Amino acid sequence: MGKKVTVLDGSERGDAELARIRDCLLGELASAGAEARVLDLCDLDLAYCCGCFGCWVKTPGACVVRDSGAEVAKAVIESKAALYLTRVTFGGYSSRLKRAVDRIICLGSPFFRKVGGEVHHEKRYDQYPNLIGVGLLPEPDEEAEAIFTALVGRNAINIGSVHHAAAVLNARMAPEEMRVSLREALARAGVAP
Amino acid sequence: MSGQSRALLLIGSGKPVHSNSESLGGYLLSGLARRGFDTRTVKIPHTLRAPGGAAAITEAVRQASMVVLATPLYWDSLPAAVVEAMEALAEDRRSRPPGNRQRMVAILNSGFPEARQSDTALAICRRFAKETGFEWAGGLAMGAGGAVAERPLDQAGRRVRHVARALDLAAEALARGESVPEAAVRLMAKPILPAWAFVLYGRWLWPRWARRFGAQKRLRDKPYAA
Repeated sequence: MGKKVTVLDGSERGDAELARIRDCLLGELASAGAEARVLDLCDLDLAYCCGCFGCWVKTPGACVVRDSGAEVAKAVIESKAALYLTRVTFGGYSSRLKRAVDRIICLGSPFFRKVGGEVHHEKRYDQYPNLIGVGLLPEPDEEAEAIFTALVGRNAINIGSVHHAAAVLNARMAPEEMRVSLREALARAGVAP
Repeated sequence: MSGQSRALLLIGSGKPVHSNSESLGGYLLSGLARRGFDTRTVKIPHTLRAPGGAAAITEAVRQASMVVLATPLYWDSLPAAVVEAMEALAEDRRSRPPGNRQRMVAILNSGFPEARQSDTALAICRRFAKETGFEWAGGLAMGAGGAVAERPLDQAGRRVRHVARALDLAAEALARGESVPEAAVRLMAKPILPAWAFVLYGRWLWPRWARRFGAQKRLRDKPYAA
């Protein structure tokens, strides 16, 4: 698996602010010796997950819909870390990113297990990627930051990540402040030293 | 019917015909209808797939005095289609702020037995309401939503009777112009099965379900393993 990092880029076309953050991220990943694979989600054909459970009971481990969902799921599970890049949207992920996230439910098993006093799905694979959520806000916003950070933490439990980190940036941050925040998140998620 | 009492049910489930979200939201909507509300239902994913779908949703919301979002929990948050509809609504409300009071209530159902697993999703709903000028009227979450079995709630059996009672309480309060009462939130969140029983139930359920497709021996397949 090496240090493969799959970046699910939830940017819309022409989003210059997120593009700058992505460039910064890719620079930090290269410095850390990670091999980044970026999936531009706006270029992929991704249907909504319809919650049919087909990926559990008809074609176990793979979605029944034949589109780019398989490419996303395969890239994520082959990675040391998955990195979600998004504008913070009502505290959560943008719909562009969420389409992709919804489609990796096939990576888990339908069976249940208890984790930290809660029921979650059993793992299907031996190893799962660590999870890094990078969100951009137009300005500092404690409530939205708290929701986003909690969401990344919850998703990490559900995907079976050993480590996870959230970096919530805002458009008022200086470039160096953003870079430090990203570097710290990569370190917390075990991607950078 | 005045514009003060129009309830719109937005369903977040993408299931083709019936869904647990529809059962739960439909039950609350019936309670509001009995109390004088004019009601309407829109399925978000189905509507968004059609040309002009986002505009149809924003227009339906514009005409409502109360929006009830009933949705499954996907990855600790809302399904992508629901977020997409929210983005469209936010954009619409930035350009044409609503002139009337509009309230919003959310009903989450999770496949896991603990209702608290929907807390982050409810926080997202609350945040959406705050950003877009809806008056937040409260959120209800149930665990083990599969117990509804996509049936009308009043035909879904004893195990979910408390869920119906919770939604009755919510409808009464909402019709009076109040928020969802804490008693309804607690009742809705009451566990249907203990966690250990839920885990065992899964071991029984999934192989039987997969047998219909001849996949019972492949449930642990790893199609993307290196």
